[in-house]
Amino acid sequence: MKSLPPSASKGPVKFRMPTAENLVPIRLDIEIDGQRFRDAFSWNPDDPDSEVANFAKRTVKDLKLPPSFMTQIAQSIQTQLAEFRSFEGQEMQTKEKIVPLKLDLRVNNTVIRDQFLWDVSNFESDPEEFARTLCTDLDIIDPEVGPAIAVAIREQLYEIATQSVSSARESRLAKKGRRGAESITNSKMANGALDLMKIFGGKGSVLRKRKEWYLYEPIVDLLSNEEVEALDAREERTARLKKKLDDQEDSFQTPYSR
Amino acid sequence: MAPAPEDDDVELSSSKPLDREFYTIPISSSWFQWDEIHETERKSLPEFFDGSSVSRNPRVYKEYRDFIINKYREEPSRRLTFTEVRKSLIGDVGALYRVFLFLDRWGLINFGAPVVARDDERAVVTAASVVEEGLPVGVRVVPASTAAVGAQGSAAGGDSGFRLPPLTSYADVFGDWMPGRGPVCGVCGKHCEPGEHETTRDGFFKCQKCSFEKGDEGKSGDGSKTNDHMNGNCDFGTRTWTDAETLLLLEAVMKHGDDWDLIAQHVRTKNKVDCIARLIQLPFGEHILGTIGGKCEIRNSNSQPADIRTIHHGTTENLQEIMSTDDKHDIQNDVEKVVEESSAAPPLKKRCRPSIIDATDSLMQQVALLATAAGPDIAAAAADAAVSALCKENPDIMNGFAADQHEATDKFASYTTQNELGSELTNQVQDVERNKEADISEPVPEKFAATAFRIRAAVATSLGATAARAKLLADQEEREIELLMASIIDMQLKKIQHKMKHFEELESIMEKEYADIQQQKESILEEWITVLQQSVGAGVQRWRDHAIPWSLLNSVL
Repeated sequence: MKSLPPSASKGPVKFRMPTAENLVPIRLDIEIDGQRFRDAFSWNPDDPDSEVANFAKRTVKDLKLPPSFMTQIAQSIQTQLAEFRSFEGQEMQTKEKIVPLKLDLRVNNTVIRDQFLWDVSNFESDPEEFARTLCTDLDIIDPEVGPAIAVAIREQLYEIATQSVSSARESRLAKKGRRGAESITNSKMANGALDLMKIFGGKGSVLRKRKEWYLYEPIVDLLSNEEVEALDAREERTARLKKKLDDQEDSFQTPYSR
Repeated sequence: MAPAPEDDDVELSSSKPLDREFYTIPISSSWFQWDEIHETERKSLPEFFDGSSVSRNPRVYKEYRDFIINKYREEPSRRLTFTEVRKSLIGDVGALYRVFLFLDRWGLINFGAPVVARDDERAVVTAASVVEEGLPVGVRVVPASTAAVGAQGSAAGGDSGFRLPPLTSYADVFGDWMPGRGPVCGVCGKHCEPGEHETTRDGFFKCQKCSFEKGDEGKSGDGSKTNDHMNGNCDFGTRTWTDAETLLLLEAVMKHGDDWDLIAQHVRTKNKVDCIARLIQLPFGEHILGTIGGKCEIRNSNSQPADIRTIHHGTTENLQEIMSTDDKHDIQNDVEKVVEESSAAPPLKKRCRPSIIDATDSLMQQVALLATAAGPDIAAAAADAAVSALCKENPDIMNGFAADQHEATDKFASYTTQNELGSELTNQVQDVERNKEADISEPVPEKFAATAFRIRAAVATSLGATAARAKLLADQEEREIELLMASIIDMQLKKIQHKMKHFEELESIMEKEYADIQQQKESILEEWITVLQQSVGAGVQRWRDHAIPWSLLNSVL
């Protein structure tokens, strides 16, 4: 392990979103009787649970969905919150780590693809602010794009945070006993993350190579309505196909499980 | 110190505009220096300096900062966005964004660019702005990098990515700077071609080294070129100004005006050129700061090198010229009631109307606009005043404008009614002239007077011509209006006459009818009488005569 400045590792921290505001990304994808409802937003896990039911009620009313969606929405949110809370209380690794985040989103008619580096150990980061800046810089008018970007960032950060919980557990185990395990966790940690010492340490330049610029440049496409419809249809078809395959698998598996 | 002739060479070679560029930063950001990290930066972005992170250290910060500023300066009129910056820098976007915001807030980037709505505070500053003639304090002269000259073709192309950091060296604009020389940095300029990032750092260090060498040699004038941004409190190495010296300088300026030899004697520790350079640099108050947006626009709209007002450091003549124009402005200032805010204010600034600022590139357009806005009387008066002012300056021109003056004085009588407006306009016209003069004051001292004279003559002639034309047009218009008016009145009269005729006809008809009726009445009466006579003659009984009336009477009762 390379030597870091003594203050570099802040020590273990209880699990939370590695952002300024501890908001959990929630994604809903519910289909009842051929009607599909998809949404993504962030939720404050400190809010009382009664808010979930209220939110579901409100959403169903506002979007004029059939009432059967209400329980489904509430349930889905609750499950995702419960999953988040299962990590709470555990320790997570806070070693400085910069990872590339990727965006590939379609919101209404806007398609946005982007890649950038994010400091996962910085607990003051603000995905919402970043998304806002991105939208104003690129003159994206659709108000739904910004929040969608922020949620997408949060989702990736959430995943990384959960990974860091497990790696924290592993490093604790490693400290207790075998020394060899440490290198394993490090190699796992480095997965996707940048080699900070190499880039920011002695001699490397923080200017990106010109031929790599396009990789880290946002690409925004505005689709026509026809294109959106075509895309929607295709997505639905693949989803149905997948579902069918899953069902088949289930039917194959049942005889074995009995 | 640099001998003046060399500087003249520089100035004469201004046909190569890329040799020297200047950028505008707010005076509040004058702490900025390419080769140093200032306390402000340390305080505002502590994360880079507290050593708590591997990815954020002072070196990384400096690279980020330098890259962002250079990126902006590729196209200073365009607003640089964060999204553009982040694709070419490796690092946490959050940290990058904070650096970007910091630079943006201090005006080190996006200062000349159009202000977006959310930047309220800056808009306020702009509102309280003052345009300064000649040498705005907020504007710094920066010699362009050799790298930039090398990559001239691509830079002119516009999109071009990025001129590699000429950041390196250090600010010494007033030193013995010369274009195109300096083998060391020239080499590094070649190294710094866009795309070759690996060699960037080599070039970087080379440049810095050479600048240091230069500093050590005490600016011996060996011609090594430094390419850098000049700082407000520019550190001159050995020629640093102490507060006491600055005070002395200001005192001397107050006392001796623009006699730089006397001023230098007064300051004693510094020579003439140093004094001039120092005075140019002095921040004469925050309020100068905001005007720079306008200046930038002017600069951008004019690609001609002559319009770029470069500060010419070496030649005293130039400065004196500017000073003398500024003296005139001071007189004008009283008229325009400009509040001089700074106590230490030497005669270097002047309030200008925004319209004038726009007009510096198209004088005739402005004059035409004013002429249309103010009407022929005032335009004529203005032309007259302008010409007479010019004649006062140089009586030789008098003859040249005799015709124009005559033209103008014709209208002078009506001018008195709108005296106030007219005088204001005169001021504006004179301002425009002065702007022009300031623009033109290129330092070729021998030829200067002649050119200035010719240009003044041209300006005055054009003003007179414009005024005369305006008057002509107005007269024509007036005549047309009169004509139309007359025809309208004529038509109205005809109409009334027709009506009268009609009424007369009607009257005659009425009379005729009246006469007819009278006649009929008479004939009826006659008839009645004859009938009565006949009935009497025939001997009709009396009771029968009354039978009908009686029966009628009964029915009524």
